[in-house]
Amino acid sequence: MVMFLKSIVQIILLCAFSLGMNQLVNWLDLPIPGSILGMFILFILLQTKIIRLEWIELGANWLLAELLLFFIPAAVGIIKYKNVLIDDGLYVTLVIVLSTAVVMACTGLTAKKIAERKEQRHLS
Amino acid sequence: MIALFSLILTICLYWGAKWCYKRKPKVYLSPLLTVPVLVVGGLFLTHTSYEAYDAGAHWLSRMLEPATIAFAVPLYKYFNILKKHAAEIILSVLSGSVTAIISSMAMAKMLHLNTEIVDSLIPRSVTTPIAMGVSESIGGVPAITAVFVIMTGLLGSVIGPMIIQLLRIENDIARGVLLGTAAHGAGTSKAFEFGSVTGTISSLSMIMAALITLFLTPWILPIMLIFF
Repeated sequence: MVMFLKSIVQIILLCAFSLGMNQLVNWLDLPIPGSILGMFILFILLQTKIIRLEWIELGANWLLAELLLFFIPAAVGIIKYKNVLIDDGLYVTLVIVLSTAVVMACTGLTAKKIAERKEQRHLS
Repeated sequence: MIALFSLILTICLYWGAKWCYKRKPKVYLSPLLTVPVLVVGGLFLTHTSYEAYDAGAHWLSRMLEPATIAFAVPLYKYFNILKKHAAEIILSVLSGSVTAIISSMAMAKMLHLNTEIVDSLIPRSVTTPIAMGVSESIGGVPAITAVFVIMTGLLGSVIGPMIIQLLRIENDIARGVLLGTAAHGAGTSKAFEFGSVTGTISSLSMIMAALITLFLTPWILPIMLIFF
């Protein structure tokens, strides 16, 4: 129960922080979303020990564990565009599948190559 | 009334779906697939509009912002691993993000999709809030982009493990970079199933891919338009 209440309080803190960041981005007219700025600022606050990990860790872990839940309303939004899907759905899916596969192969192989080269240098 | 009901229903369905997925972790049981299908079915049967549903459910979408901020926690906890592998992470995310922009646009143009759809497809591989922003700035429709982002996440979490097996990618770092760059949050969810290092690398890659796409898209598009 204590853990649960702690998580709730921490989530509320993170939400308040997020709202503050949106305000800041608006106010400074920055070209990045408040959430990305907020992530960087929170990271710096953690690194500099101004915010301690225990203050937010439970809440942050909960938010990350339930990430998929937050995508669901956008996925339901598909019904607003059923014409797009009826007309172009097949081609769009084809583009997404092929392009995603190419991106994955390219990213994965680049990382693998660099990691192998690093290992070789360590051995020699 | 409908608003509150939509919110509670979505959360309950999600819990149920998650419970099923835990017992039987098959792709077709992913909560990101089953819950939207059930909700769409429900809306059709009860003749409820998406707007009425979203009046309540949009509170869940709003939670994406604090959730994105929460990525600072794994970033902080695993910063040493990240520093050690900075070179491969940065270079591979860069190559992946550029490939995503170019291949989405080239394939969509080759299939003669209309310009609005092409522009909405271009930022599809990065996290929703950034993708929608990029889409708007290049002439796409942000709401359609949101749908393409979800499709990418869902398809990506299916294709990802296949590519990993096919190309024999056994390195934790490479697996994380691959999933986070190509399939944002949904890919990162999958990456955490591989392990916490893979998951953390994936979250960082997702964030970097978002930033790279945000800054490079306006530069890459004019060059691409010369060829199409």
